[in-house]
Amino acid sequence: MVKIEFETFVLANGLTVILHVDRGSPLVAVNLWYHVGSKDEVIGRTGFAHLFEHLMFMGSKHAPYPSFDAIMESWGGHNNGTTSNDRTNYYEIGPRNLLETFLWLEADRLATLAEVITEEELEKQRKVVLNERRQSYENRPYGRTELRIPEVMYPPTHPYHWPTIGSHADLEAASVDDVRSFFERFYRPSNASLTIAGDFDPAEARRLVEAYFGWQPRRERPARPAPTAPVLAADRDETMSDRVQLPRLRLAWHAPALFTTGDADLDLAAHVIGGGKSSRLYRALVFDKRIAQDVFAYQSSQLLGSLFHVGGTAKPDRPIADIERAIDDELARFASEGPTAAEVDRARNSHLSDFYKSLDHLQTRADLLNHYQFLIGDPAGVERDVARYEAATPASVRDTFATVLAKHRLVMRTVPQAGGDAEAPEAEVTT
Amino acid sequence: MSDHTPLVSPPIMAKAPPVGPLPRLQPPRPARFVLSNGLEVVTVRRQVAPLVAVNLMFRSGSDADGAELAGLGASTADMLDEGAGTRGPLQMAEELEQLGADLWLGCGRDGSQLSLQVPAKGFPAALALAADVLLRPRLDAGDWERVRHDRLTGLAQRRDQAESVASIVSDRVLFGDAHPYGRSSDGLEPSVTRIGIDDIRRFHATHYRPNNAVLVVAGAFDETTLQQQLEAAIGAWSPAPIPASPPTPALPPRPRLVLVDRPAAPQSIVRFVSPGADRLSPDRPALSMLNAVLGGSFTSRLNFNLREQKGYTYGAGSSFSFLRRPGSFSARAAVFTEVTAAAVTEFLKELRGVREQPFTDDERTKARAMLLDRVAEGLATSSGIAATFAELGLYGLPLDEPERFIAALERATADDLLRLARKYVDPDAACIVIVGDRAAIEPGLRELGLPAPELRDADGARI
Repeated sequence: MVKIEFETFVLANGLTVILHVDRGSPLVAVNLWYHVGSKDEVIGRTGFAHLFEHLMFMGSKHAPYPSFDAIMESWGGHNNGTTSNDRTNYYEIGPRNLLETFLWLEADRLATLAEVITEEELEKQRKVVLNERRQSYENRPYGRTELRIPEVMYPPTHPYHWPTIGSHADLEAASVDDVRSFFERFYRPSNASLTIAGDFDPAEARRLVEAYFGWQPRRERPARPAPTAPVLAADRDETMSDRVQLPRLRLAWHAPALFTTGDADLDLAAHVIGGGKSSRLYRALVFDKRIAQDVFAYQSSQLLGSLFHVGGTAKPDRPIADIERAIDDELARFASEGPTAAEVDRARNSHLSDFYKSLDHLQTRADLLNHYQFLIGDPAGVERDVARYEAATPASVRDTFATVLAKHRLVMRTVPQAGGDAEAPEAEVTT
Repeated sequence: MSDHTPLVSPPIMAKAPPVGPLPRLQPPRPARFVLSNGLEVVTVRRQVAPLVAVNLMFRSGSDADGAELAGLGASTADMLDEGAGTRGPLQMAEELEQLGADLWLGCGRDGSQLSLQVPAKGFPAALALAADVLLRPRLDAGDWERVRHDRLTGLAQRRDQAESVASIVSDRVLFGDAHPYGRSSDGLEPSVTRIGIDDIRRFHATHYRPNNAVLVVAGAFDETTLQQQLEAAIGAWSPAPIPASPPTPALPPRPRLVLVDRPAAPQSIVRFVSPGADRLSPDRPALSMLNAVLGGSFTSRLNFNLREQKGYTYGAGSSFSFLRRPGSFSARAAVFTEVTAAAVTEFLKELRGVREQPFTDDERTKARAMLLDRVAEGLATSSGIAATFAELGLYGLPLDEPERFIAALERATADDLLRLARKYVDPDAACIVIVGDRAAIEPGLRELGLPAPELRDADGARI
């Protein structure tokens, strides 16, 4: 029932290409994933994969800055890119007559970016990214806590130790030489997959892809980090202050990696525990006891290991210890009794419904095909993905969750800063 | 080949490929029928995903709250799914989840809406739940006491969010407390504290009526039975007279500079705020083009200057809010604290420039193509189709409005854009609202020749 039709082929240089035709609207989407993320950075250059993503819009040999955006927007197309720990993606969408333009622009920057990048362009985007860091984390309530969590959960040698946005000092240190060597190492056809979705002729698209990408030489796929699975050797307990009205509690555990055994069970467990108004924490903390303003639980699934998060925000004048105790009670009960069959059913239906919603949109459909290609080397992964959730049972959800809960954890509290609004927030860490 | 040898590109790379003609966009032709109780129903069948999207739009929003009870429409929307028919609040959530259904109720300036997305096989059951929410909500006093406390806490938390603060303050300064658009749709602590369950029951009974709404159903529903299903679920819902909206008060005088102090903030939120146009204004298509050029695209003059050339911000932009009454025009960016005054100077330059420099043919071509694409993408998903036609219903616009809009874009000349820029974009008459670190930014603002700021708190009240 959940199926996306596509065809796929690989160019001689290793570029994987996926074509998905949908003639419902006169639109075309191009979606390109590179297997490089902040996990591939080196210590001292954190945030570089994301900064690099910004530089990909700063012009290439035949489409000098600001052609990339200017050409595309002048014909009604638009684009963006995102960087995660694991991968970087770029996408364009617009009227179908832009397909060749999109492919030319993507191919030219893949072939020539390092030849034309300048110090001045790097400097501009460094400022933009530092602003992004302020906007997304530093000037946003609880944002600093989010930056702190990976530092505690992963040892300094693990590539998830630093956040994708990177540190100020490392962003300041990035040089044009770094840009060139990063580009040479990771931006290779063999390290990418290209999806075209929408209103186009597949034979023509194949011809265009061959013409624009096929001439680029084959180079080996770069090695991918394979760190040992991280563990917390002991429970960690930290308190940070921030410019917030209400204290928030966050708990985090290490959990099985994306698509490995137990990952889907934990998605379902998170949903039953803290996903929406039908969840256990909502009922206990928000609805019955009224000690929390909000609650949450989610499995943050990633390639090299996941984190399972649970938490909530205290109601005014309610001690954070109250919600900590109430959450612990609920989690202990869940680990011993497990979910009911009805709870698992609801969580699964909710999850399936989210799949359908992502299928309704051309660009998210293209992104899903690349996601599965990236993950398991097969764009058809959607069926396998759904099967994981269909296979889960109340017992498998309970047992997987109990294994996670038995591990050491991080308890992170964000509390309103002492001086009210008058001071800049600071991370004061008490361990 | 060594890694550092530049590649020799084939000739095809040398220049941009030709761009063929823009494809003709054929917006979906909706079917339309009217239920026995007068509810207008608009449908678009679509089979891409096994999903049905529903949008029921009422022509009453926070505009109908009244000055004393700001937040009433939003509170009503929030309370409707807190139990309905025979179901309590949590049971309602559980049954929706069992169907994989997302039910959302919300209240904007001019309208309130129920939206639903559900896998096709659960649509009949979800429709029955939605009918209970609309016709038989519990609206229980004890539940309201709990939800009100949640909402009041949310209002306090809103003060943590600099962008939200900037929006609340901007509207309050531009429209004034006497104007429905001057008041936050979610209300303020005193007004939400005043709202009683009887007010909510009254808002529901008055405004949630079939003759005050349009229902859009898009996606994989069963065409042969839809009308019958709707009659069975909500046919008994009775119409009633809807009170007229209050008249539009005149706008108050605008202070030049308003500042909300956020000590030690790493960024300043900067907004230029001035009066805009209404949704039915014949100027809307050309104003949309003007905005695309000025601040509505990545390569817009504002973003290109403040982000790409100066590196002051992660993004700068502008927008018109086209509402039933004339809305606002605002230009905005979140900038490094230390460049706040410099950013204000660049805003002034670009906003003045749009009144002076003629629009080029390339700029108009770009604006048209972008707006056309936006229409196409808005109509490329079931939820987008439902939202598009519901918005047309809210303002009583015809179903072929997307085609009319596209045709009007073709007609807009460079002179039209310049005339409208001079009419609507006047940075010297705009109010500059800044949320940021007063001690750090005030001296620089004074050097620009700006007057001492009027100080407001995070709820927009004068200090």
